[in-house]
Amino acid sequence: MPELDLDTKVKLAIYEITAETGRVPNSADVARKIDPPTRRYGATRVDEEEVLGAFGRLHTKRLLLPEPGDPRRIRMAPPFSGVPTSFPVEGNGKQYYANCVWDAYGIGAALHCDAISRAKDAHTGEPLTLEVKDGAPILKSYVAHFAVPAAHWWDNLIFT
Amino acid sequence: MLLFRSGETVNEWCAAHNIPRRPLINLEQLWQLAVRWYANRLTIESRRPVPDEMVTIFASLGLTGPFWDPKADQWK
Repeated sequence: MPELDLDTKVKLAIYEITAETGRVPNSADVARKIDPPTRRYGATRVDEEEVLGAFGRLHTKRLLLPEPGDPRRIRMAPPFSGVPTSFPVEGNGKQYYANCVWDAYGIGAALHCDAISRAKDAHTGEPLTLEVKDGAPILKSYVAHFAVPAAHWWDNLIFT
Repeated sequence: MLLFRSGETVNEWCAAHNIPRRPLINLEQLWQLAVRWYANRLTIESRRPVPDEMVTIFASLGLTGPFWDPKADQWK
């Protein structure tokens, strides 16, 4: 198998760490994952600055959104959120946060596991549960509202 | 992209925030979107769908029209 390019290694590391821990990693976490110091006798072959460069390219490809004002942190690695949101998702015995209602289902789809999101009606605050079991949603009559047209989703992804 | 119990609470939310009501999708459509978008996200070859693929995905779920057209999106 050919050596993976850095951007692919970074992408995989982001998602592997997130899946394993429930926490979206920062650039230092990703550098350690790709090239553990113990393997390099204390040195790090892939340094954090290179990882930051990959973060920028993955942002251009719309695979992640850096934290505004702090490019070492990731705000979104869709469907995962780097910060707590109104869409917590339990799956594989861990808790994750999704960016929106679409991503609340997206975490179960990405991890291929049963998942439950204890969300709320965005207007009334009434608890509403989204559940995925055995690869399918437990359907209810709830609805999702998309306030922003598809052409503008990346104008302000945090609001979308 | 927010969750609501019903179209009624969507209407109330839109009025409260002075936001136009946009299309609603049901949970089956939402799940299918999630699968099409994210099922391979943890794999080597994963990537975000490009605009033409997005149009195909949306259309397969009955989501058509300008609201679901990402062609004006700045794709790199």
